[in-house]
Amino acid sequence: MKSEYTDSIRKEFGSVILDENVSRNETYLTVKKDSAVKICDYLYHHFDAPLVSIFAADERKADGCFKIHYVFSLDKEDAFLIIKINIDEKSPEFSSITHKIPSANWYEREIQDMFGLVPKGHPDPRRLINFEDWPSDAYPLRKDFDIRTKLPRVKGEYVYRRVEGEGVYEIPVGPVHAGVIEPGHFRFSVAGEPILNLEIRHFYTHKGIEKLFENISIDKAVFLAERVSGDNSVAHAVAFCQAIEKIAGAKIPPRAKYTRTILLELERLYNHLGDIAGIATDVAYAFGAAHANRLKEEVMQLNESVTGSRLLRGMNTIGGVRRDIGGREELILEKLSSLNLDFSDLMELLFASPSVADRIETTGRLYNDIAKGLHVVGPAGRASGIDRDTRRDHPYAAYRELAFDVPVLKSGDVNARTRVRSDEVYESISLIEQALSRFSDGDIKVNIKEIPDGYALGYTEAPRGETLYWVKTSKNRIERCKVRDPSFCNWLAIEYAVLDNIVPDFPIINKSLSLSYSGNDM
Amino acid sequence: MFEILRKTLKTGTVTTQYPNRPETAPEGFRGKPELFPEKCTYCGECVKACPPGVIWLNEDNDGKSLALSYCGCIFCGRCEEVCPSDAVKLTREYELASKTKDDLVTIIRRKI
Repeated sequence: MKSEYTDSIRKEFGSVILDENVSRNETYLTVKKDSAVKICDYLYHHFDAPLVSIFAADERKADGCFKIHYVFSLDKEDAFLIIKINIDEKSPEFSSITHKIPSANWYEREIQDMFGLVPKGHPDPRRLINFEDWPSDAYPLRKDFDIRTKLPRVKGEYVYRRVEGEGVYEIPVGPVHAGVIEPGHFRFSVAGEPILNLEIRHFYTHKGIEKLFENISIDKAVFLAERVSGDNSVAHAVAFCQAIEKIAGAKIPPRAKYTRTILLELERLYNHLGDIAGIATDVAYAFGAAHANRLKEEVMQLNESVTGSRLLRGMNTIGGVRRDIGGREELILEKLSSLNLDFSDLMELLFASPSVADRIETTGRLYNDIAKGLHVVGPAGRASGIDRDTRRDHPYAAYRELAFDVPVLKSGDVNARTRVRSDEVYESISLIEQALSRFSDGDIKVNIKEIPDGYALGYTEAPRGETLYWVKTSKNRIERCKVRDPSFCNWLAIEYAVLDNIVPDFPIINKSLSLSYSGNDM
Repeated sequence: MFEILRKTLKTGTVTTQYPNRPETAPEGFRGKPELFPEKCTYCGECVKACPPGVIWLNEDNDGKSLALSYCGCIFCGRCEEVCPSDAVKLTREYELASKTKDDLVTIIRRKI
């Protein structure tokens, strides 16, 4: 990475940089604690660098300090700039940047709950992950918090935002929903049918996954990453493996890179088909839903034939893949070519149907500026004009060698989100075909015996969008593993997408954003 | 409307007769792991490798036993991978529903 950013920070703010450390495409700048806000603000607004994650780490054993990392993506240069601050254990607080960068909101509240570091000046300092029955001085990700700790329940209250006025009433939905889905609470304030305000509340099934990572061996951690968000298993496993491989300085064999690419695109295919089926269901277009579900099932059966698992699990490992998919090339190509025709037939019918158009056009609009402010990722972001795709901006696996388009639309409604997914289905089919045409013989795995102490980012474009892992290793164990699932960014978008819409359209808006509870409630 | 009808007729019936007619999982399917008592040396490699920790090795006066619960098994096949004597294999068996958790435990023993 060019040192343009570092130089310019030095020029603008003087001697605020305490330490500079470059490792591959990641530059870590440790800055004075009180200058973090202005530097982040400068990078975000002046260089237009998206803030892709904020996370803390408890490194008190080493130097008595907590660390907070602000990760900025420099898309054009395939690089990341990480602003780091030290927080002394004796004064566990830092200045909030949420009023400058709205997407910092949940990250800062997460740090507050998990590490007990207070974001001073945060516009909404309520708890996010630890519920009101959680004692006030217990911070699960601190190193002195034992994973086996059982805490007493305490009394407490959570206060929702209120909309008041004549004829305004509230509709509480969830956390237990009709249907076999995960829990989440939605509180609507409505006047008649139109929605005036929606407040969501999540983290009912927080599983402490980041703590679990610190307590298992690295080879087992791959399987844990696969289970962070069940239908984005490959994207999570690959992101985790890439972080470890980066730390080890290992290059995986070409055949492993191509296999990973094929698996990642098969995952995108069945997810997008499932999402399109869900949207069709929610607009009562039963014919389309049945066919899209049939196509999804065909891809899942293909997954099973290729990998032995419908959800493509158990394939990735540190250093490559565990199973050779050789001998199945013909089967994949044959299935994909029939899927291509079948799917395009279906999409023509779906988009030509007036009853579908009537329900999805202009519904659930997520305006471009709001999507940008919240850092909405994946197909939901691309349907709101955000031209970002990790596969193109930070190429990994075999994507650098393959040609593909990144569909971007601007209208930000359910229609746009459906079309982006539909377009991406063709891109995925083409990517798999290209990957198979370049599939060369060779090893599928490189053996990595020792994993040195170090840290690195691993990233993929999951079907739902940018997925980020930051892993720090020490003595062949995981010291810290920060997982940033795309849904952690996208959930807040629903509060804006539903405004001015009517309550009966909530299910399609929700479906079109395709949000994961499990990936969010980690 | 005509186009919808055409698509429906072209697709035909895709549902199968399962469970009235059994369906075989494809080759390489990651199903129920099976233990082979005649090959097992009770070395405990699978116990160490199992990510969810659902394989246990027990030793008492009578001998050694190895227990595997399908209840928490994630069908990753790590046990198969690390076994030095091919004593565990993932099979194509997938109908694992049972009424109790105990029914999901399989135990092999060797007397001293």
